[in-house]
This record gives sequence, structure tokens and C-alpha cells, in this order.
Amino acid sequence: MIKKILSGLIVIAVVVAFLIVWKPAIDEIDRPSADSFNQEQIAKGKVLAGLGNCASCHTSDPSKPLAGGVDFPTPFGTLYSTNISPHPEQGIGTWSEEAFLRAMREGVSRDGSHLYPAFPYTHFTKVTDEDLSALYAYVMSREAVDHQGPKNQLDFPFNLRMLQAGWKTLFFDGDRFQADDSKGDAWNRGAYIAEGLGHCTACHSPRNAFGAEIADETYNGAVVDNWYAPALNTTHAAPVPWTEDELFQYLRAGGSKWHGIAAGSMASVVHKGLIEAPDDDIRALAMYFQDLTGAEDNAKAAEVAAGHVSQAQGMADPATRTGEEIFSAACASCHYNAPSSLKAARPDLSLNSAVTAPDPVNLLRITLHGIDEPTGLRGLAMPGFGPGLSDADLIALARYLRQSSGQPPWKNLEQHVQDARQL
Amino acid sequence: MRKFAKYLANSATEQASDTPRLSRRGFLIGAAGAGLTMAFASSGIPVASAAKSISEGAFEPTIWFQVRPDGRVIVNIVEAEMGQHVGTALARIVADELEADWNDVELHYVDSDPKWGLMVTGGSWSVWENFDKLSRAGAAGRTALIEEGAKLMGVSAGQCQARGSQVIAGDRAISYADIVRDGNIDRSFSEEELKAMPIKPPQERRLIGEESKALDIPDKTDGTALYGLDATVEGMVYGRPLVPPTRYGTGINSVDDSKAKSIPGYQQTLVLDDASGTVPGWAVVIADSVHAANAAAEVIKVDWAAGKTADVSEQQILDEGRRLIDDASTGALVVNEDGVDNAFSSADSVLEQEYVTHSVLHFQLEPVNALAFQKDGRWEIHTGNQWQSLILPTLAKALGEKEDNIVMRTYLLGGGFGRRLNGDYCVPAALAAKQLGKPVKLVLTREDDSRFDSIRSPSVQKLRMAFDSNGQVLGMEHHATAGWPTKAMAPFFMPKGENGEKFDPFSIHGAAHWYSLGAHRLRAISNELASDTFRPGWLRSVGSGWVNWALESFIDEAARKTGEDAIEFRLSRLKAEGKNAGSAPNSVGGANRQATVLKRVREISDWGKDMPADTGLGVATTYGQERNMPTWTACVARVHVNRDSGKVTLQKLTLVTDAGTIVHPDGALAQVEGAALWGASMALHEGTEIEQGEVRDTNLNTYTPMRMRDVPEIQAEFIKSTETAVGLGEPATTVVGPAIGNAIFAAAGVRMRTIPIRPEDILAALKA
Amino acid sequence: MTIQFQLNGEAMSLDVPEDTPLLWAIRDHAGLTGTKFGCGIGMCGACTVHLNGRATRSCITTMGSVSGQQITTIEGLDQDGEHPLQQAWVDAQAPQCGYCQSGQIMQAATLLQDFPKPTDEQINQVMSGNLCRCMAYVRIRKAIHLAAGSSDSSSAGSPQFYEPGQEEMSNA
Repeated sequence: MIKKILSGLIVIAVVVAFLIVWKPAIDEIDRPSADSFNQEQIAKGKVLAGLGNCASCHTSDPSKPLAGGVDFPTPFGTLYSTNISPHPEQGIGTWSEEAFLRAMREGVSRDGSHLYPAFPYTHFTKVTDEDLSALYAYVMSREAVDHQGPKNQLDFPFNLRMLQAGWKTLFFDGDRFQADDSKGDAWNRGAYIAEGLGHCTACHSPRNAFGAEIADETYNGAVVDNWYAPALNTTHAAPVPWTEDELFQYLRAGGSKWHGIAAGSMASVVHKGLIEAPDDDIRALAMYFQDLTGAEDNAKAAEVAAGHVSQAQGMADPATRTGEEIFSAACASCHYNAPSSLKAARPDLSLNSAVTAPDPVNLLRITLHGIDEPTGLRGLAMPGFGPGLSDADLIALARYLRQSSGQPPWKNLEQHVQDARQL
Repeated sequence: MRKFAKYLANSATEQASDTPRLSRRGFLIGAAGAGLTMAFASSGIPVASAAKSISEGAFEPTIWFQVRPDGRVIVNIVEAEMGQHVGTALARIVADELEADWNDVELHYVDSDPKWGLMVTGGSWSVWENFDKLSRAGAAGRTALIEEGAKLMGVSAGQCQARGSQVIAGDRAISYADIVRDGNIDRSFSEEELKAMPIKPPQERRLIGEESKALDIPDKTDGTALYGLDATVEGMVYGRPLVPPTRYGTGINSVDDSKAKSIPGYQQTLVLDDASGTVPGWAVVIADSVHAANAAAEVIKVDWAAGKTADVSEQQILDEGRRLIDDASTGALVVNEDGVDNAFSSADSVLEQEYVTHSVLHFQLEPVNALAFQKDGRWEIHTGNQWQSLILPTLAKALGEKEDNIVMRTYLLGGGFGRRLNGDYCVPAALAAKQLGKPVKLVLTREDDSRFDSIRSPSVQKLRMAFDSNGQVLGMEHHATAGWPTKAMAPFFMPKGENGEKFDPFSIHGAAHWYSLGAHRLRAISNELASDTFRPGWLRSVGSGWVNWALESFIDEAARKTGEDAIEFRLSRLKAEGKNAGSAPNSVGGANRQATVLKRVREISDWGKDMPADTGLGVATTYGQERNMPTWTACVARVHVNRDSGKVTLQKLTLVTDAGTIVHPDGALAQVEGAALWGASMALHEGTEIEQGEVRDTNLNTYTPMRMRDVPEIQAEFIKSTETAVGLGEPATTVVGPAIGNAIFAAAGVRMRTIPIRPEDILAALKA
Repeated sequence: MTIQFQLNGEAMSLDVPEDTPLLWAIRDHAGLTGTKFGCGIGMCGACTVHLNGRATRSCITTMGSVSGQQITTIEGLDQDGEHPLQQAWVDAQAPQCGYCQSGQIMQAATLLQDFPKPTDEQINQVMSGNLCRCMAYVRIRKAIHLAAGSSDSSSAGSPQFYEPGQEEMSNA
């Protein structure tokens, strides 16, 4: 009975939503030729595409740039990114700038259908006309790739795109970026990038049951696609808060001596996206996040780091002895550091975000499967220890490392290890 | 079978004057092939020329060397090179007497052709056994070169002396190279002549005892050294064994390799049929590469009918040991002096303790492997091995071939430690190659290697000491039980005890101590449950390792009981009298020499000084392994015990060793360092247990040998001596464990009687 | 599949499955046997090679992950085998059986890159992943100090001899 009532309510809601938020299609145009855009615009757009990291989500095969097909497993089913190359049939070759702007700002496709918020229009809406125009020039001047990725596989009723209109009324405001006059230009530039094209909160914030970012938990950190994206505000667990210099270093090089390396999708953010951006933009981002995390200066941070590492190295608890022995034999040759001169190329695990995170998935994934170049710092790789270490070994190692980081023990490690082996 | 004879003739306790004697019939020197060959004659001194005999191969080249026309001196080495730089030590003995320039000396490691005689490298015998022979051979060579050099220079031999690969007469000299090129040496020495060879007095030695670099080292720093794993032959395939769940008695019901068929490079799985009984229940996966074989092995399912030991545990083996000790009818009485029963029945008090050592893996870093193939009708086994002569008959049986149709080509050993005395791993390679009709390179994974290891058996020992009312010792009993490697693999080496029962001398070495402690009874018992479950192995110092854990811990407890200083207690009972007087040539000085190393270690350690909190010194002393080849050894260990974590930190080892003449001092020091750390590793770091009929720990994730960070400061000294050179590869192993145990007692007041000693054991003992 | 990478400075192309361990590709396909197999789980260090100039355990490094990378083995550390570490290894007479030493030297090279004048503690921590079953640790540490020109706080040195007096030998 209750089911019937609920179904009825859903149907009514759907109809209402349909009536309220119907969006018209925008006329197709002939694909603009690449030389119809000026080079300056294209160059600017390239940087912006990097800051937005478009390619990571829209390229599954490097030989088919921007042709989509990347899978996004969600609680509601699997989404696949679309072809955004300027191919007239498969891509967005027939989209006018107006259609492009509407998609970026409102999450509505050229044909009027609603886009899923896995496409972060909720952030892109903050971007200026000028920047979107340059981005359009860049995207439309790329190679047109004749490729169609798999169709979305969403469960009912999430496969009904029109439901997205309802979602928007609940979770989408569509405001442009507002500068904070109390802060300087660089800070505001950082905020604009982070909150707009950079869409940092998309990964670094927890989401609610509807898949929307939880407003008052922005930058509290979240597990996305089986990687934990750490908190970027004062709730972070890192023993050493990010300093501007260190974050700049991390975003440029892919690794930090106090936090570890960029893995998962952050690796492509650094090496495929941000690589296009000038130092000033990276510096601005770093400044913005330093403000959010409440970091102290470098000297103080170095002191905190050294003290923390010293303490971790001096730890001797019979309960974690097995893990410590595994660490010494399997890990220390690359991860041991002299406390006073920590090195990014030797990521110290007692400070590492993968260890201080509330979820062990990053640590377990990397320990099991390793890091291939060019994840993390360029030129560095780590082999996976999955085949050699038993679940018991991994649990012992994780417990030891977790203790060395000063954080409370992880729960359900057995289950986490088994899950991570499947990834 | 020199040692076979030796062991039949001598029990472990007998005061043997068993020099490794010169037993050859004569010595030949003559031009053959590219240079001048010097070798022992195989049968009598030939009537025809020495050169002719040599060129016809009528020599017994167990020890032989050549001087080449370019001046190089090639010394052929029959011993296995496994880290002890044995080739360097042996070559220096030859070169010293030969007066060769050390820079001209090269080593050549020979294969197992029967002509080389018995091939075994173990028991720290190599130098002791060869010293006299090599010296005389070198001296004979020098004599012949001087004679010929004199002739070429037109002077009398009496005017000449040899030095630095030259024969020198006044201001004239001729090089050995020139003598070989221009001369025509054809000389033989009778056995009597050889015996009368003028061996140089120790003070004239120029190489022995002097600093030098080991000849085998440079190749070990640039990747050019070749180990068994590096052996290849055209057309070989790779084999990976599927090791059954029990060492013995497992049969194969079926093999399902359906999932492996899609693995690129997988060929087939062979079920071995082993007439020698060495590897029952084995199958071998054959593939194009090691990786393919390993990948296939992951998915191949073998249905085994496991043998009867499939459920045996370490605890059961130890309990069986206790049962055997309690049953007075078991075992061999190795020593059974009059008055033992009297001593105990009249005792005012008796000290009795039980000591346990757990299973230990060899974990030689190169997992065992072998390459087997047939070439021109003859079988060749390419591998690293310590005792070729032992495995050849087994291989012959497995292959259905005559022994002389099998030759073993020996490579460097990626660690021996006794594992490669047992060549059982050659058998599955040979069987697979025979079955396949192709060369097979069998490579065990680390896990396979551990499961197939001939481990150091767990042991249980009970020691008793009877005291009178003044605290004087009236007598002692020592009962030791373990799985016996010699019984399993070389039973012909087993002498008889006082009660006529045979025993494994290697499993009780070290217990026939040189202390005067009244009437002594020493009983060795084979633990058959152990040897049914696994093949017990000889592992660095063998029984002397576990026997001294018990003996030297017990002596410490005895000293505590009488209230004497642990070193004083020992010194006052190390009296070179009666059975402990020592005898020529090997144990000259007897217990006095043991007392000397003990006194010296007291001097150079901090013995008797105040220690920081929870820090203590412990002492132990042993005669190494064999009473007729004693290496006098003493050690003081300094440890710190963390009462919160239970962690024992070994801070320092001070060792004094009297091994007679030291041929290659730097190599000797390396052996003492390595052997000492092995002892420490077995006491504090490694060790495993039998679970479900197999070793529990098969790789480094849970098996934890000593690493660099665990290494203590080591201070090692040798006694300067010209006495018979004895072994060095193992003695330090025997003394370190008990020194650590005794130091823990000094530091924290807890007596540990089981090794390995884990932090949780310390915590439990501290709580008790 | 065909995997291309640089081996000791030379272009190498091997047709092997992606999950093939680099160790076996180096040994059995490229024929360089200086790199050794010890444990197969990355915990003994005998198989240590350099990936882009830093030590890695080749037994658990898959061929798929070395595509396009630079691999250096003990044979390629120095053309003449005279790298300062190799010379120090001979000077200190470090190897016993020698089986672990290729890996020890390759690991030590990375150690000195990160810690040019290493302390004992730094050597201990970085080198504890390299098992030496002969336990030649004292000399390995000494050799590293020799190569680095750093001071060795341990008493590792040349053999010491003690000559007891006659009365000592005859009278306990």
C-alpha cells in the first residue's frame, strides 16, 4: 500500500517538475572551423580546460581525446562521460556558444535534456562569460573524434533525466563567482579557480543521499570512486597543515614531503590538467587553500613535521610490532626519512594523507597495486605488494602506520583489505 | 670417503689424533697441456715420466694446480664457494709454500667428476682438512721449480731460493713463467719424499695469516658471478614444482591443469615417478618461462592424498621429545661415565632445567634450483651444491643410471649454511628432464624452498646437575632430542654410543664439554616424529647450535645457584687435565685454551662493570663443534631489555676465538661476524614452527631473520697461534645465543629457556 | 604484448605479458643475470634495480609498469664495474656468498643519492629491506661509509690478534 502511495507521489512530482523546468532545444549550427577562433582565445581556453581538468573525465582512450566513455560508478548506477570533441554527430560540433554556455551554467544539453550533476555545472556556473567563451574556442578547435562511449546504465527512476530538474531546484543556485573584497586579488583568483572550473569540492566534499555536495560540509573530505579525497579545510587530519609553498609544490610536481603524492584522479588533475596553468594560478590556488586549512608558516610546519616523524620512529608498541617489522623490511628502504630533512621522493608515511585519512582505501590501494609513473612525482613508481603480503600482513602494516600517524585505529580493516584487493 | 672412515673410527667424544693426514702415494710435476701441472699420483709413482702420467690423466687431482707459461698459477678448488672464500684460503696455503706471487694466483672450481674424489664442503672442515696436504704440495712444486730454475741459470739448486714467482740466485733471477716455458720439468716425489718436504716455519710465511683480498669478491660486486640460478643451456624449459602437503608419503590422485591451458607459455604438468623416494607426491609445471610456470602453478589443482604427518604440530614434536627424554631406555649414551647415578643419589641438591629450540629455516637467499639435461648420453646437473658425493647415488637411483654417468657442475652458492649439503632438489629437476627428454631448469619459489627445506629440527633438552652441600658439582646429565639430519641423509656417518646405539654426532656436537664437572652422562635421542614430518637438516653449526643454547644457559644457572661469578664458575672448571688435557695435533692445550679465550673476553668486554638500568652482560663459551677439531670460542653479549615493549636490544657482542693458525685473517673475521649474527638471529629474530605438518612461515612477510638495523656492535679478536688451523664458519654461531639469554637474565632477571625469544615472551616472563 | 623501455641505457623491446615481473624479463629475456631472485615478494632486496635512477624491487615490478621507463641493473651501474660503491665493496671485502650484493649495491646507490653522508641510523633504516643471509651487514655498512666518505661509528675494522703469554696457555 505504502509503495503504491509513494509511486503515485513520484509520478505527480515528475509531472510537476516536467511542467516547471522544461528547457527548449537550441538550434544546431554548422560546426565552426578551427580557424574561426583566434589563437589567443584558444590558448587561454587550453589553460582553462586544464584548470577544469576536462580531459580526465572526457577521455578514456588517449588516442581519442575528449571523446568520453569514462565510467562513473554511482550509487544510482554507472554513468559514462560524453564525447565533447567537436564531432557533429558524436560530439558537440553542432553546438553554438550559447548552447555550450547553457550546458556549463545550467546543466542542460543542447537538445534541452538535463545533464546529471556528475558533470559539475554546479561549479562551472560560477565561471565568467569571458572564460567560457575561451573554453568554447578551445574545445571547438580540437580534433573531431568519431566515437561513442557506452550508454549510461542507471537504475529506475534515476534514468529519467527530467528528474534532474527536481534535483536542481533542491541543490542548484546558479550564481556567478562573487569576489571577497576583504581578500586580495590572488586569493580571489584562487577561490575563483577552485570553486569554478577547478570544481575541487566535487571530490573533496561529502555528498548527501541525492549525490549533492553537503553545503555545510564543504571540503570535509570524501571517498570518490574508491579514492579518499582528503579534507581541505580545518577538519583535515594531516599532522602538518598545508602551507602555501607546500601546496604549490604539490600541485606543480605531484607530491609533497609532508603529505605524500597525488594519486587517483588527483594525479591527472596535476599532470594532465594543472600542468597547463601558469605558476601564478597555482600559487593563487595554494594561497586560497592555505587560508582554508589554517596553516602556519613553513618553518613552523617543518618543525611540526620533524617532531611528528621523530615520535613515530621512536614508537615501540608490542601490539604493532608485526606491522613495524613488515614496514622495516618492505617499506623503509624507500619511505624512511631523517626527521629533519624530509624528502618528497621518500614520502613519509607517518605524515602521509593516505595514512591520516579516516578511510584506509588510499593506503591499501597503493600498497596492494602500487603507483605507476606518472602518478605522483614524475619519474617515481612503486611496485604493488598485493601478491606477496597476506591480508593479515596488510592489516598489521596498516595498523602500525595508522598508529604512527597518531590517528585512532581504522575500523573494519579486514573488510577494507578484501575490498581493496578487488579494486 | 675420508670422513666416513673418520666418523666410524671416532665417536664425538674420543680424543682423536686424527690429522687430516697425507695419504697419497706420491706427487707428480710435469708439463701437460698449457703449462706445468702439479698433482698427486693416483696409484703409486709411475715408472714412466710424471709428465706422461699427467697428460694421460693418471693423477688424482683432488688438489692440484698449474703454473701457466704466462706465469698464472691456477689452483683448482674442489670445495663449494658459498661465502667463506674457501678458494682464497686454500690457494694461499699452496701459494705460500710455492712462493708464488699472490697477484698471479687464480681459482678454478671443478665439477663433480669422480676423479676429484669426495666432494663435501661443510662442518667448517675445509682448511683444517687441507692445510697439511696443500702445504706439502706447494713445497714440492717450489722444490721442482728451484731445481729447474737453477739448471736454466747454470747454478746449483742450493744457491737458489724462490720468492715472488721467481727463482733467485744472488743477483740473478728467473721467473716461474720462464721456467715453465724454457724448462722441462718432469719430476715425481714419493710419499716419503713428500713427507720430508721442507715446510716453512710459521715465521717465514708470507701469505698465510697476512692481509689479503679474497679472489672471489670482485665478481660479486658487478653481477658477473654465476650462481646455480644463472645456469642455462640451449633448449631448456622451466620447471616449477608443486610441492605436496607432507614431506613423505603423499600420493597424487589427479592433476587438473585445465585453467592453466590459456596461460601463454604453459606447456604441461609432469607427475614425477621417483624411484629414489626423494620427492614423493611431486608434480612439476613445465613452461617457457619462470613467470609462465608460476602463473600456471597458481591455477593448477592437484588432488593429493596426504601422508600421515599432515596434522603434526611443533607442540606434538616437542612433547614427543619430552616423552623420549623421560623414557630412559631410548637414545644413545654418547658419554656415560662412572658415578653419575651415585652423584645424583648422594646429591645435596639438584638443578634441573629444560631448554627448547624451535624450528629454523636455512633461508639461504638463493632458493634451491637445478638445471638437468643429458648431453652425449651423459647426465649433467648444473647447480650449487655442498656435497656432490652424497646426492650422486640418489640421482643415479632416480634416473636409473650409473653414478659415473652423472656429473655435477658446481656454481657459486647463493648461500649454503648446510642447506646445500642435501642435494635433494637436484632429483626433481633430473626426473623432469628425463620424463620430458629436454633440459629442465627447476626453480623453486621462496615458498617452495621453505616448505621443502631441511630445517633445523626443533629440540628439547633436559639438563641436570648434582651438587654437594658445599655447592661443589658432583656430576651432570644432559639429554638431548631432535630430528637427526645425519640419520636421514648420511647414516653411514653415525658412530655407536657407549650403549651400542648409533647416534648422529652432528646433533650432539658441543655437549661433550671440556669442563670438569664430575661424572658426565650425555644421551642423544632421535625424535622420529620430527624426522617423519620433515627431513631434518644440517644448519650452520648443527647440533652445537641448540646443544649450547641449553648447556651454556644451564651453566649460567648453575653459577647463579652457587653464587659464583659466571666467568669464574667456568674458569675454575676448565682444567686441562685428564680427558680435558687436549692432544696433538688438533686440541693441543685442551681446556687451557678455552680458559684463555674466556679470560681474554673478560678483559676486553665490560665484564664486572656497572651497567645502566635494564642492561646486562651475559657470557658463554664453547669449543665450537667437534672435540677433535675444537675451535675455542668465548662471547660476552650486552643487551638492553625494554620492560614495556619486551624488546631485547642486542647492543654489543665481544668474541674471542682461538682457531689455531689463521690462514686468511680478513676472511676469518668475516666468518666470525656472520656466524655470530646467525646465532643472534636464531636467538632473537627468526624461527618458525611446524603447523599442519609443514613450516608455518615460508617467506619474509612472517619469517624475520636479522636485518641491518638489528646488528650490534661487534668486537672480535683471534688468539695468535701457530697450532693446527681449524674451522671458523660455525663456532661463533654456537656461543652467541646462550650469551644473549644469560645477558637477558642479568638485565631483567628473567630466565629465557626457549629460542627464539620474542618480545611477548619477555613480557610474559616479566609478569610471571 | 611488446613493451619498450630502456635497459642500461639501451632501447629494449620485449614481447612478454604485462604482468611478467621485471626481474624475470631482465634475467631470462634480456639475459642479464646479475639481478637475483630471493623472495619474490619485495622483502629481501636481492632483485633491486633502478627505475628512473631509484631503487625498486624488480620481482614485484611488472613489465606493464616499466613501459617507457629507464631501468638500470648492476651491470649498468658503471660501465667498468668501478662505481665508487663497487670499489668500496671490494675494499671492505663486503661480500660473502655475494648473492644479495647486486641488490645491496643498487639500494646503497639510492641511499647515497638521498643521504650523501649517511649516519649509521640512516644506513640501517634504508638498508634493512636488503637481507644478507650471510649477515655481512657490518661490512656492507662499512663499505657504504667508505664510498660516502662518512664516518663509521661501529668498530668494523681489520682482524685483531691477541698473543697470550706462555703462563696463560699452560695455566688456567
